[in-house]
Amino acid sequence: MGAGAAPLRRVYLTRTLTLTASFLAAGLGFVVFLQFGASDGFDAFDVLRALLIFASTFWLAWGAFTALAGLTTQPPAVPRDPGPVRAMTAILVPVYNEDPVATFARIAAMDASLRATGFGDRFHFAILSDTRNDEVAARERIWFLRLLADTHGEGRIFYRRRTSNKGRKAGNIEDFIKRAGAAYSYAIILDADSLMEGATMVEMVRRMEAAPDLGLLQTLPKVIRARSRFGRIMQFAGGFYSPIFARGLAMMQGRTGPFWGHNAIVRMRAFAESCGLPELSGKPPFGGHILSHDYVEAALLARAGWTVRVDDDLQGSYEEAPENIIDHAKRDRRWCQGNLQHSRLLLAPGLKPWSRFVFLQGILAYIAPVFWLAFLAASIAAPLFAPPIDYFPIEYWPFPVIPVSQVSKALGLAVGVGGLLFLPKLLILLDAALRGRTQGFGGRIRALQSTLTELLFSSLTAPIFLMFQTRSVLQVLRGADGGWPAQTRGDGTLNFRDAWAASHWIVTTGGVVLVMAQWLSPELVLWLMPVALPMVLAPLLISWSSRPSRSALFTVETEIAPAPVMQLHDRILVRWDEDLEDRTAA
Amino acid sequence: MMDLAKPDQFDLDRLAEELGALPQAPLAMPVQQLESSARPGFLSALLRARLWRVGKAGH
Repeated sequence: MGAGAAPLRRVYLTRTLTLTASFLAAGLGFVVFLQFGASDGFDAFDVLRALLIFASTFWLAWGAFTALAGLTTQPPAVPRDPGPVRAMTAILVPVYNEDPVATFARIAAMDASLRATGFGDRFHFAILSDTRNDEVAARERIWFLRLLADTHGEGRIFYRRRTSNKGRKAGNIEDFIKRAGAAYSYAIILDADSLMEGATMVEMVRRMEAAPDLGLLQTLPKVIRARSRFGRIMQFAGGFYSPIFARGLAMMQGRTGPFWGHNAIVRMRAFAESCGLPELSGKPPFGGHILSHDYVEAALLARAGWTVRVDDDLQGSYEEAPENIIDHAKRDRRWCQGNLQHSRLLLAPGLKPWSRFVFLQGILAYIAPVFWLAFLAASIAAPLFAPPIDYFPIEYWPFPVIPVSQVSKALGLAVGVGGLLFLPKLLILLDAALRGRTQGFGGRIRALQSTLTELLFSSLTAPIFLMFQTRSVLQVLRGADGGWPAQTRGDGTLNFRDAWAASHWIVTTGGVVLVMAQWLSPELVLWLMPVALPMVLAPLLISWSSRPSRSALFTVETEIAPAPVMQLHDRILVRWDEDLEDRTAA
Repeated sequence: MMDLAKPDQFDLDRLAEELGALPQAPLAMPVQQLESSARPGFLSALLRARLWRVGKAGH
């Protein structure tokens, strides 16, 4: 058994319970819908819709029961080596057209934080630039020299720019390992917007040292520095709900844990031996470079016998996130393509069954919204194909038989689906209140207000994300490669015109849905309003949510008390910005 | 310490390359086999079916 991973028997029990409960919930949805659909006569459309309900409900139930697993389990004891840190660790910071000032200031802050632990000399930073823009690259060189001067980092902080960005981020890291990997026992892989406490990185090394079979240790990064309404809601949701979902996930994954691409430590030898990624045959989007390489690397490590673990108890791991719905959808477009590409790897030789299931889960996550949309379309079109109601089903019986209304079944189904969506979050709120975790979120009342508002916001924006995800899936299926654009970071405010440009097709779709429903199934219009209305209002919601937030709602721990490494980062940024202004003035 | 207020005085490319050079410690990273020679499964074939071809897409 992998040291620190949940005991195997418990892992199998959690998997079995979660899978069974999800299938039961989906089966119940299937049967209830079939009864409801058959009330006006049974036809193939009823079966189709019931099957779509089955698939969609399974996915919702899976999420809900993962949260329940997280709420009902505790992290297993994790071994750690308490002695002095002797192993050398490289901290890899891949950059791709990022703002070098903000990124390198993060490195300076992490370096200072590491030196404060007394083990700073055991860690080296490697800035791995894949920047294609020559102007940004020139700024990178200037600010790299500034970083060296500021930290006295010569010989500890390295910078190299690749002439070709073959293999993108995975190829960038592979290039480092092939050149310099043998100098290090471990590598901490970061993103350009990652920030980690020195003590956390030291603790990660201690845990790796104590578990020789551990190939990769993933932390759960907290989103920080969100400013917009959308960003702060996501930051709250990530900080408040994610630890519970991650706990549940850890319980189910056991030794076959996840890799989310950053804020994780890998054993250099294990990674080098197991994770050399091939190019897949054929052209993108399904062939070529593996886009979502992290899931594949986790699967390859597990295939080679290494333990991959997520330690959700590790604090001091941070990242930043998109500030508006459009940037979020852009990132999701890439993830969609990467996850659908994993369909090529479902039968890859030697993978652990759970790794295959994780690939399938990722595919389902993007296909489920298509099922929901197909369900809505099938429901609107159903009257066209329904057989006429037979009021005289009994031969020789002279009186008509009025079909019994099955609306209660539809309501029951709606309540069930709503329960799967909302109940886990409300239970997490209750758990947080009982354990005192709400203190970090402004207290019980503020956490309650934030949770309820988040539920309302996520309900309003769900149809918009459903549309973006459906479009992404259709684009990938018809062979469109989304490319790999740099993420937009920074303010992220969108005016109405920008929001309209990105979402007018959602408004049109929402309008068409309402008109078609009114024409074909007028009784459905009211049911469809929670979906169609947000679609019609999409540009308003996108623009409104991208604006700066000044609300006391959605308070998180790092807003109440910024982490020490965040404070260091702030101080360095202020100093560097002042220097920049002085130089510009001179 | 170098005078960064006057970056023109340096050949920045050369300096960054010199000071930033990674340690020379190569480590082999063999390419792993991920594609089996067997025929692709139904789901893979379904997902790979391209209904029509288009160029790049994005937002």
